[in-house]
Amino acid sequence: MGSRVFGDRLELLSARSKKAGAVARITMKQQMAYKTDFIMRASFMLMILYVFVQLWSAAYDGDAGRVINGFTLKQIIWYLVFTEAITMGVPALCGLIENEVKNGDIAIRLIRPLSYIGYHYAAYLSEAVFRFYIHLAVGGAIAWLCVGPPTFGLGWAGLFSLTLGALTIAFLLNMIVALCALWVEETRGMEFVLHKLQFTVGGMLLPLDLMPEPLQRVCAWLPFQAMLYFPARTAVNFGAAPLLQQFVIQAAWIAVLAAAVMLMYRRGVSKLHVNGG
Amino acid sequence: MSTEDNEQAGGLRSVSRTGRLRGTLAFLITCWKVNLASAMEYRASFFMMAGMMFINNFMWLFFWSLFFGKFQVVNGWEMGDVMMMWAVGAGGFGWANMLFGNFNRIAPIVAAGQLDVYLSQPKPVLLHVLASRMSLTAAGDFFFGLVVYAWVGNHSLAGLLQFLLGLLLSGLLFMGITILAGCLAFFIGNAEGLAQQVFNSFVALSTYPSDIFKGLARTLLFTLLPAGFISFLPIGLLRDFDPAFVWKAVAATLAFGALAVLAFRLGLKRYASGNAITLRG
Repeated sequence: MGSRVFGDRLELLSARSKKAGAVARITMKQQMAYKTDFIMRASFMLMILYVFVQLWSAAYDGDAGRVINGFTLKQIIWYLVFTEAITMGVPALCGLIENEVKNGDIAIRLIRPLSYIGYHYAAYLSEAVFRFYIHLAVGGAIAWLCVGPPTFGLGWAGLFSLTLGALTIAFLLNMIVALCALWVEETRGMEFVLHKLQFTVGGMLLPLDLMPEPLQRVCAWLPFQAMLYFPARTAVNFGAAPLLQQFVIQAAWIAVLAAAVMLMYRRGVSKLHVNGG
Repeated sequence: MSTEDNEQAGGLRSVSRTGRLRGTLAFLITCWKVNLASAMEYRASFFMMAGMMFINNFMWLFFWSLFFGKFQVVNGWEMGDVMMMWAVGAGGFGWANMLFGNFNRIAPIVAAGQLDVYLSQPKPVLLHVLASRMSLTAAGDFFFGLVVYAWVGNHSLAGLLQFLLGLLLSGLLFMGITILAGCLAFFIGNAEGLAQQVFNSFVALSTYPSDIFKGLARTLLFTLLPAGFISFLPIGLLRDFDPAFVWKAVAATLAFGALAVLAFRLGLKRYASGNAITLRG
């Protein structure tokens, strides 16, 4: 009896994984179809990184040997490449869900035999991973030209291993804001603020090590550092903090944020009235 | 025709021009009133969007305060200069987007054939398109600009006038460049992505100190993509008034504005649409 229940559950899980895999494959194909859009985003990344190279070169007075709070100019620039690649890899989830709620498309998604959150996570992850690698390649090219090759050794392993958790935290944070559309419809303003929190206290524009001590202590209690700072810092300064500790913090935030997402989803959907779709 | 007739005709022309100008102004004011009334219909949403944009801009200042906390002076720029750069940039963008909120939507409007509704009405087409929308977030940008000026700006009469001139130049430059990029849709079809890219790049470049750029990048910043005329305003106009820079900034603003109008007029001659019936939303 027990083994049969276990077998049924395994079968259900396998069916769900297959559906999620199919969603991920379709999303990837969609991404490949919009090449111009891709080139546009990549060129914006190039421009932003060029601006950052200029800004930080001015701040370091062009001195490649100078070390500020454990970061050389080369490490700072590569750190920014990694944080930008993750940030620009994250698809615009809030606008997507806001539109689904506004035009009633959410009704179609809800009647499908696939979890609504699960569907969006599969599509999101597929697109995010693809975009992350593209932006990493584009950003890496300009950083290589400006400050030299990324000789970070084990740092690369740290970056790739922490990026999946980082993208999942980004998904959950964005989903929390996106699900607010079930109550307020307009989420763009909240999305702006979320992004700016990632930019600042998440360490996208400035490593947390360069921030004042009291602020660093506050940031340590927020989920944003696990999204950007952890992977990028580990990449350029492997060993600055234990990798296992960072995994545990990421896992804890994923559990807390996933619980918040599920709670919001259940409450929001129960009060949703759709006309159309 | 006698001299008296000529004088009479000249007088009539001048009266009709004044009348047309007055009529256009009244039309513009009506557009703005309607836009505001429409935004106020969803008051909570309006204040939330504007408030969020206000906070969003402050988050950027927060980043810069952290940056300047570490490096007090970067190529002659201090925290106060960056704050005024944001005040002038966001404030200028704010008023332009409040009063002429369609300026960054020219490309999708043209590509979707939505100009028809404006062409069928007896008003200046470009002005009508621009004034037909008010951005909800723009009020937050404009208010942010005023608050930062009140916080760190020069409050003397001269300082106030310089700040107002900065707002005017910045808003007009944002409009000129963005309309020019949007007009590409007349010539290459779906230019929405490209126009958006130019707009995003221009906004991004106008929010970093222009003095961090050297060589070719700096030249481009004051010619092809003249965001430098906005980002240098806190130094060249507000801190150390430089008549040569101000003169060039005014000339660049007028030139890009004129180019935008010219491109729109030339584009209108090529404009074609399908049989989609469009209405103003």
